[in-house]
Amino acid sequence: MINPYSGVGFFEFFWVLAQRLFTLSGPLTSDEIQLAVLSCCALACGLIGPFLVLKRMSMFANSLSHTSLLGIVLVFLLFSGWGLGMLLVGALLSALLTAGLTAGLIRVFRLQEDASIGLVFTSLFAIGVILVSLYARDSHLSTEAVTGNCDALRLEDLRLSGTVALFNLTAISLFYRKLLISSFDEPFSRSVGLSVPFWRAMIFFTTALTCVGSFRAVGVLVVLALLTGPYLTARLFSHRLHHLLLLIPRIIAHPRLDTSPELSPKDRI
Amino acid sequence: MNLLEYFTDPILRAPTLGCIFMCTAASLMGAVLFFQRRLMVSESISHAAYPGAVLGVFVLSLFGAQFEEYSFLAVLIGATISSYLGLKAISYLEKRRKIKSDPALCFALAIFFGLGILLASGLQETAPMWVSQVNSLLYGQAATLTDLHIAIYGTLALACTSFILFGFRPLQTLLFDRGFAQSIGIRTQIVERCLFWLLLLSIVAGIRSVGVILMSGMLIAPAIAARQFSNSLKTVFFLSAFFGAFSGLLGNVLSVEIALKYDQIHIPTGPMIVLVGSLVALLSLLFAPKRGVFFRIARLGLFRLRCIEENVMKGIWKKERIERSELKRLYPNSSFALFRLINQGFVFKEGKNICLTEDGRIKAGAIVRLHRLWELYLTEQLGCHAERVHHCAEEMEHILTPELEERLTKVLADPKCDPHSQPIPQRRQL
Repeated sequence: MINPYSGVGFFEFFWVLAQRLFTLSGPLTSDEIQLAVLSCCALACGLIGPFLVLKRMSMFANSLSHTSLLGIVLVFLLFSGWGLGMLLVGALLSALLTAGLTAGLIRVFRLQEDASIGLVFTSLFAIGVILVSLYARDSHLSTEAVTGNCDALRLEDLRLSGTVALFNLTAISLFYRKLLISSFDEPFSRSVGLSVPFWRAMIFFTTALTCVGSFRAVGVLVVLALLTGPYLTARLFSHRLHHLLLLIPRIIAHPRLDTSPELSPKDRI
Repeated sequence: MNLLEYFTDPILRAPTLGCIFMCTAASLMGAVLFFQRRLMVSESISHAAYPGAVLGVFVLSLFGAQFEEYSFLAVLIGATISSYLGLKAISYLEKRRKIKSDPALCFALAIFFGLGILLASGLQETAPMWVSQVNSLLYGQAATLTDLHIAIYGTLALACTSFILFGFRPLQTLLFDRGFAQSIGIRTQIVERCLFWLLLLSIVAGIRSVGVILMSGMLIAPAIAARQFSNSLKTVFFLSAFFGAFSGLLGNVLSVEIALKYDQIHIPTGPMIVLVGSLVALLSLLFAPKRGVFFRIARLGLFRLRCIEENVMKGIWKKERIERSELKRLYPNSSFALFRLINQGFVFKEGKNICLTEDGRIKAGAIVRLHRLWELYLTEQLGCHAERVHHCAEEMEHILTPELEERLTKVLADPKCDPHSQPIPQRRQL
C-alpha cells in the first residue's frame, strides 16, 4: 500500500490525517503509528510527571531515565525479546536497582544525597552502555535505545505504549486522592494512615515503567523532558492539581511529527 | 601491551595523555562542586553542551571537508556557548519562573540534549560524513585524539591545578563559609566567576573523551573517593586529581586492550573511564580507613568485644572465681572474649574454675571503679535516684577515659563508697 503521507507538506499532513480519521479508511500507516505511540508516551509521562516534581523526586526521575537503560539491556540479554512481560521486568529491575543502591549509599555509606544519586546513575549507565556494545551483535538492541528511533516503531509498540498510558491513567484516576494527599502534606497523610514510603515507591515504579515503556520511541534520556516539561508548562496556567492533570493531555495532544520527538510539548504550543 | 608503551607509542600517547589531563581537570572541579553540594549542575552542563557541539560541526561542514581537522575547535566553541546558555536557562527558570532547582535542572538538560539529537539527525541528512564526529561525542572516543588536543587539555588541566594551588586560601574560605569570606575582603564574585568558567571549560573539554552523557560521572566519582580518605581540603583536592587521572588512564587502557583483543567489540572510552572511577569510589567507600564501611563495622565489632571482655572480668572480680558453665550462662557469646583474656594474661584456668591474675584484678578493679564513680556522680551531682543509675553506669564504664575518671574523682572529692554503699576500689598503677 502506498503511504498516503508520502510527499505531503507540514500543514497538508493534518488535512490528510483528518480525512483519514474521519473516514476511518485503511489500516494504520507508519506515520500514524508514530504519532499514536508518541502521544501515548507523552500522555503516560505527563500524568506521572507532576507527582514526581511535587514530591521532589525529579532528580530520581533523572537518575531513573539513565538507569532504565541497564534494565532494558538486562531484559534483552535474559529474554532476547520485547513484550509486556519483559517491560514489567525491566521496569522492576531498573527501579529496584536505582532505589536500592541510592538508598544504600545514603544510609550505609552516609554519602550526601546528590553525590549518591550521581554515582549510582552514572555507573549503572556506564555498565548499560558497555553491555550494549558487548552484545549489540547478538540482540536487537543498539545504542539507539538512548536516543530513540521513531522510524522503527511498529504496531506492537503502539500496543505497549497504549497499555502503559492506560495503566498510568487508571492508576492515577483510581488513587488520585491518596496521591494528592501524600504529595502535598506528608504529616497529614501519615496521620490519616497513608504510608508515604509506599506511595513514593508506587510513583517510582510507575515512572520506571513509563521510562522503560517509551524508550523505543523517544529514548531513555529524553523521557525526562516529557516527565518534567508538561508539568512546568501546565503550572503556568493553573495551580490546582486536577486542572493541571486535565491540562496536560491538551498540551501534549498537539501533534508531534516525523523524527522530532525530542522537542518537548512546550516548544509546540 | 606494556603500560609504558601507552606513554611512548606515537598513536597511543595522545589518547592516554588526553584522558589523564582531562580527567584531572574534571575531578578537581568535581571536588569543588562536591563541597558546594551542587554536583547535579555538572550533569546539566554536560548535556547542554551537546546541541552546541553538533551545531559547531554543522557550521564547519558548510565550509567544506578540508576543515575536518579543525572540527574539535568547532565542537569546543559550540559546546561552551550552548552549555553557557543552558546554565542561563536554568537560572532563568529558577529565578524568574520560581521553579525549584531540581526540576529546572532536569528540564533544561533533557530539552538541550533532545535538541542536540534533533540537530544530529538533521546533520545526518545534510552532511553524513560528519556524523561520526558528532556521534563519538555521546559516549566519548579517545582513540582519535591528536597532539594538538593534548596541548589544549594539558593547558586546561594546568589552569585548573594552578587556580586551586594559587587561589587555595580564598577558595577554602569560600567553600566553608561564604559570608565570612566576604567579610574579610575576599572578592568572592571573582573567585566564583573563575570557578564557573573553569568548570564549564573542564566539562566541555571532557566530552571529547568521556562523552556528554557520562561526563558528570567523572566529576562525581573521584570526589567521593577522595572525600573518604581525608578531612583536609588540600588532601581531598590532591587525591581527587590523582583518582581522576588514574581512572582516565586505566579506562583508556582497558578500552584499547579490549579493542585489540576482540576485533569486533568497540567499547567507547567514556563508559570504561566512568566505570573505573565508580569502582575506585566504591572501593574507597568500603575500605577507606576511618570513614569506610568496612572499618566502621570492624570498629563496632571491636568495641562490642571489649565490652564483653570487660563484663566478663567484672563478673569474675565480684565472685573471686567462677565456674566455666556459670560464666557461659551469665555471658553468652563470651568464649572468644575469654580466649583473648587468657592470651593477654588477665585470666587463668584453675581446673573447672576461672580466676583473675594479678593484672586482671587491677584491670577489673579499674572498671568497677569507673562504674561506681559514675553511679555516685549521677546520684550526687545530677540528682538521679540511686535505684536507677545502674543501667546507665553499665554502659558508661566502657566509654569513660582516664582523664574523665580523674575529673570525676576530683568533683566527687575522692569518694570511698558508691550510692549502694559498696566500696569503690582505689586507683592503682597498672
